[in-house]
Amino acid sequence: MPKCTINGKEVEVKDGQTIMEAFYKTEEPIAHYCYHPGLSVAGVCRLCICDIEGNPRPQIACNTVVTEGMKVSNKSDKIKDGVKWVLDFHLINHPLDCPVCDQAGECGLQEQYMEFGKYDPEMAEHKVKKHKVVDLGPTVVLDSERCVLCSRCVRFTDEVSKTSELGIFNRGDRSEIGTVEGKKLDNKYSLNTVDICPVGALTSKDFRFRQRVWYLKDSETVCNGCSTGCNVKVYFNKEGFFRVKPVYNEKVNGHWMCDEGRDIYKFLNKDARFTTGIVRQKGEQTEMAPGALAKELHKEIKAKKDQVALVLTGQYTVEEYDAMVSSMVKEFGISKIYHWVNNKESFDSFDGLLLRGDKNPNTKGLLQVLEKHQIKGVWGDLEAGLKNKSIKTLIVAGPENKAVFDNLETHVKLFAQAEHLVWLGSAKVDSLLNLNNVKVSIVPLKTFVEKEGTFINAAGLEQKFKRATTVVHEALTLTETAILMSGKNLTVPMAQIEKPAFLENKRRQDQVMLENRKKNEFVFKRGSL
Amino acid sequence: METKLLTEFYHLDEFRFLDGYKKNGGYVNLEKALKMQPQAIIDEVKASGLRGRGGAGFSTGMKWSFLPKNNEPRYLVCNADEGEPGTFKDRLMMERAPHQLIEGMIMSAFAVGSKKSYIYVRGEYYYPVEVLEQAVQEAYKAGYLGKNILGSGFDHDMDVYRGAGAYICGEETGLISSLEGQKGQPKLKPPFPAVKGYLQKPTIVNNVETLAAVKYIIRDGAAAYKKFGTEKSPGTKLFSLSGNVRKPGNYEVNLGYSLNDLINNEGGGMKPGRKLKAVIPGGSSAPVLTAEEASRATMDYECLAQMGTMLGSGAVIVIDDSQCMVDMLGVLMHFYHHESCGQCTPCREGTGWLNKITHSILEGKGRLQDIDLLVKVADNMKGRTICALSDAAALPVLSFVTKFRDEFEFYVREGRSKVRGSFYAQMHH
Amino acid sequence: MSVVQKAGAASKWYLPGILTGLGITFKHMIKNIVSKKQMVTLNYPEEKYEYSSRFKGNHILTVKKDGNIRCTACMLCATNCPAECIKITADENPDPKVEKFPISYEIDILRCVFCGYCEDACPVDAIRLGPEWQTPGLSGANFTYDINHLAYRPSLKGGIQSHVDDEERHKEGI
Repeated sequence: MPKCTINGKEVEVKDGQTIMEAFYKTEEPIAHYCYHPGLSVAGVCRLCICDIEGNPRPQIACNTVVTEGMKVSNKSDKIKDGVKWVLDFHLINHPLDCPVCDQAGECGLQEQYMEFGKYDPEMAEHKVKKHKVVDLGPTVVLDSERCVLCSRCVRFTDEVSKTSELGIFNRGDRSEIGTVEGKKLDNKYSLNTVDICPVGALTSKDFRFRQRVWYLKDSETVCNGCSTGCNVKVYFNKEGFFRVKPVYNEKVNGHWMCDEGRDIYKFLNKDARFTTGIVRQKGEQTEMAPGALAKELHKEIKAKKDQVALVLTGQYTVEEYDAMVSSMVKEFGISKIYHWVNNKESFDSFDGLLLRGDKNPNTKGLLQVLEKHQIKGVWGDLEAGLKNKSIKTLIVAGPENKAVFDNLETHVKLFAQAEHLVWLGSAKVDSLLNLNNVKVSIVPLKTFVEKEGTFINAAGLEQKFKRATTVVHEALTLTETAILMSGKNLTVPMAQIEKPAFLENKRRQDQVMLENRKKNEFVFKRGSL
Repeated sequence: METKLLTEFYHLDEFRFLDGYKKNGGYVNLEKALKMQPQAIIDEVKASGLRGRGGAGFSTGMKWSFLPKNNEPRYLVCNADEGEPGTFKDRLMMERAPHQLIEGMIMSAFAVGSKKSYIYVRGEYYYPVEVLEQAVQEAYKAGYLGKNILGSGFDHDMDVYRGAGAYICGEETGLISSLEGQKGQPKLKPPFPAVKGYLQKPTIVNNVETLAAVKYIIRDGAAAYKKFGTEKSPGTKLFSLSGNVRKPGNYEVNLGYSLNDLINNEGGGMKPGRKLKAVIPGGSSAPVLTAEEASRATMDYECLAQMGTMLGSGAVIVIDDSQCMVDMLGVLMHFYHHESCGQCTPCREGTGWLNKITHSILEGKGRLQDIDLLVKVADNMKGRTICALSDAAALPVLSFVTKFRDEFEFYVREGRSKVRGSFYAQMHH
Repeated sequence: MSVVQKAGAASKWYLPGILTGLGITFKHMIKNIVSKKQMVTLNYPEEKYEYSSRFKGNHILTVKKDGNIRCTACMLCATNCPAECIKITADENPDPKVEKFPISYEIDILRCVFCGYCEDACPVDAIRLGPEWQTPGLSGANFTYDINHLAYRPSLKGGIQSHVDDEERHKEGI
């Protein structure tokens, strides 16, 4: 465990760690593009130069291993000047695209230039022209002119996704990122290249031109796309959710997430949701406040205790399962509770990196709660019960992410054999609105970003997450529905909302601290420019 | 005076072939070497003070002793990717005496314990590759290569590998990348090739001339070899004399030979009516010397380093007073811009920038501040990259601009060359 | 506001003040009768006042040489707008040199305060405030100007050309 001094701050690092990691540990500012903690060292951007005492030449921090007693500093004028020039080298052929570029506002070049830049460009020659808007594959678009050739994306496809689609072609300042002819950047993790791109060279086709990033707020949560439970950030504004990006968590997902998980924002937006309570009887549809509808159901459940069954999917939080199951068991004595498994065949599959076959974020949590209440519902019993009409009222807590429920339609048909189908769920399932032979009550629920709770992932790790925002204000959580169904009134305990027990809001690792900006300070205040 | 050590039999056509080579003392010393202890050979080379002839001038024996002491397979690579503008000595050595190189390589491979070696030849060298391949075949047939060489129990295989014409593949890690089949780009150091090189195994990369010289160290012993040259730069060296001299060509002289003598005796002096203006003493990457400095210079590593330049690959480019330094810099910058591998930012963008500035000066669009800008850009490229290519591009700029600033200023002010008086377009068409 | 009390007889007696005022009125009346050219007032709406071309009136979206809209949909005007009256929807342009362009650009002119910050923020001279100021409408008139109105309304005679053109920028190597 060698100790070293970074700008006068003493720090102890692990054996074999580099000066860059010591800089990260002390949170001293250091400019860099090509270094990424999740990838191998390339040492090509040459920005992380620093002085090492006793070494006449400045060294790069990312490839120099810390030795005992090393004294490192990047505060000298020589180093600062060097960094300014290297930044200028990055920029001389970089187009003035910021107004069009999607990365503007969260761009590594913008941020680092504000902190370390030279501010008086001396380039008077024509810039090198390269290809713009290159279609790399189904998810990513490349702009070669903006690329600073840090090779992060190339290393990602080589080392993490292990698909090696990307490479650097040509040489000198004609170098361009690209794919081999006939090959496309098409893998299940391709959008990570967009995240790690420090400039706007790689942009996501899905998010491209949808919003400027400064219109977006973000909030950390846990992805509910599969049972891995990657830590993610959702980006939203009053118009809805726009994108999902990974957040570093060593225990779960590292720096990455899959492309599938990035689509989860789509079912959070209003147009994919049930927004009011709906009662449908004999082809006639009436709208109702969700709370009132849930309360009304109390009488029916109480009256037909023995003929009521509950179906749960693995898409809700542990707290909700507990509230729902315990209210069913304790209030009504119902033990016909069943677990709806969406894809039995590929349930246990795992691709070795992040993607799991179990597309529910909280299957483990559901099984734990069922075990706690000693419920052993077998799916066959439900099917039989529906057939012989011993189950007349069926309560289904349907999926949020209906896209991963391949058997949704067939199961809706199965559930329609009951007399009264109570559907609790957020996702708009159109086939429910076409059922004419059964009474359907739909209670809209909140999605995982609109509530707080706990998911237990496939590895058994409990992950608490906090609320991001509310999209459908009328919607209830499963807990609230359970309370209303058991005949009680909602006393929304707002004060009970704990302080976020989830990951503390860390700053991004390559983020430049704004207070370090010296010159050209641009602080936008509405109307006071 | 020329000293003929390596080039003693180069005038003989038969020296190219195994029989002729053997007639003139070839492969005699191989037996002697194979009977020595490998460590003894390394010690002998170390004692001879042989320094790398490729450019950096690092002690060869020292380089060999950096190999880790384990049983990992290791490789010997002969760097015959002679890309430095002005250098053509390796070509001569491969064309005239391929067996001399092969013999030196077998000895070196035995010393470092390598069972496999490669000769990485520059892509443009069609003929030398042909000659080498033929020579390797001959050596295999005669039992100098292959299993159990000369009954010593030492196995060695040799391959000739052709590059694809990138300058940067003359840099040892770039060469290794290219040999591995990857894009020819230098690798980060550490780890050094002696620890992790070709296929992540310990690798020694030496220049053609260095490896050929090993034969003579074994033949005559370190002490005899040390008699040539100076104390710190022992031995002889081939210099590729080119430019405005009467007799350009390869000349083998003792290190420490006077540059003045080299130009005037071996090179036959300047063309009639012309005066010496400048000399680039070690290939295009070496900073230029003015005529006054050149008259004082001796051709050894120390003296040239003292003068702020380097011996490099030994390519002496003589420039007389009919040459425009701005135009020359333009040519050099075009070369480095073309050859930068594009990995490190300062070099990738800097070489392009320097090329653009020099050419805008050449086209008469230059501004006076461009001259200072050249210096600033070059200053900030120097020592900032993985390999030495950015230094190689920056050093000529710095020396050209500081030593011949008047020519640059004249060009910017008048829009034409001070020496030739003509415009860029006239000069090139 | 501060009121300055003038001390003295003139302010205590109203009559001199009234008479002075009337004097000015009569002077102007006579001047207007004698020479109509110097008259300050106009017979609006029959007569209309011509403001300078730099007057900050209704917005104009400029066009490129080929007649396409210049705006790149960078949203800086919308970000900068204190009245939040600009709404832009961007989309991908098939021409890679243009890349991004607005498929809808709406200004709610009733909310606009004509501050001209959008003009300041624009990096490509795509939006200008023009001299046009007289745009009344009855109830039911559309005061949300869309892209067609902003760039190609009849009074602009085919559109105002921008100083900045993509083609030229690419040729210049910017």
